[in-house]
Amino acid sequence: MLRAVLAAPVVLAACTSTPPPPPPPDPLAALAETARSDAALAAAIAAAVPALATAAGSVSSARAEHAEALQREVDRERPPRTSASAPPSSTAPAVPADPGAALVTALTAAESSAAALVGSLPRYRAGLVGSVAAGCASLREVLA
Amino acid sequence: MIQPSSSPSSAAALPAEASDAVQAALGAEHAAVWVYGLVSAFLPAGLDAPVAAGMAAHRARRDATERFLAAAGSTPRPAEPAYLPPDPVTDQASALALLVTAEADTTVAWRAVLERTDSAELRAAALEALTTAAVRAARWRKAAGQSPVTPALPGQP
Repeated sequence: MLRAVLAAPVVLAACTSTPPPPPPPDPLAALAETARSDAALAAAIAAAVPALATAAGSVSSARAEHAEALQREVDRERPPRTSASAPPSSTAPAVPADPGAALVTALTAAESSAAALVGSLPRYRAGLVGSVAAGCASLREVLA
Repeated sequence: MIQPSSSPSSAAALPAEASDAVQAALGAEHAAVWVYGLVSAFLPAGLDAPVAAGMAAHRARRDATERFLAAAGSTPRPAEPAYLPPDPVTDQASALALLVTAEADTTVAWRAVLERTDSAELRAAALEALTTAAVRAARWRKAAGQSPVTPALPGQP
């Protein structure tokens, strides 16, 4: 008897509860976006600056791999509603005045934003994002 | 000189999963110290400074990791009496290859720690160990003329 009375408000609460607010943006989505834009910048530099073709090409392919791994994790956790939101077909980024320094700056920033997340992420993600941070640090050696 | 005692020292008992991963990382540090000791005779004097720096970094990490485990109530596993390199070290090329192997093994071991603990403090130490080993691996690959100089995701098994 008592049990039935207690159960009622629970059911009522379940019926009247408002839908939960949309979840906050996935922090890995921003890392993936930065990785994509770094890859595009490095590719543009590789194409325009022969002296940096090999090094910037390596940076470009590694950052593209970061973008893919991070995006895969974002989509795994929260499958995209539409089929593959087409990436903005932006034109190639402009090559900066000091392309080598620009890439080093971008890699340093990417390393810090990845490293800043490692302490608070779920375990699997902590490993992945840790490897992204270590990869960015190591890619600076490619340009050194 | 700052002692690398920034590793968590106030740790309460470590869950077994994390403890095992840290012990494995300590094993990789022991092996790396041994490797740096072995290879120096095969490398030119021009590489003395990076060899000494790498050796010092791995000794410091090993000592900090031993202190961390002891503080958490685990007995740090000792180094093996000897290690068997995958290929014999006979010259500069094989010496550099073994350095790359030792650093890469270290990155894998510390990334595994990241995936086996929720402690932000332990993760910070593991990330630093992963990153510095990955950078040294890249430098040794560069010295050896290897390409690519780094995998995209160091430590990913």
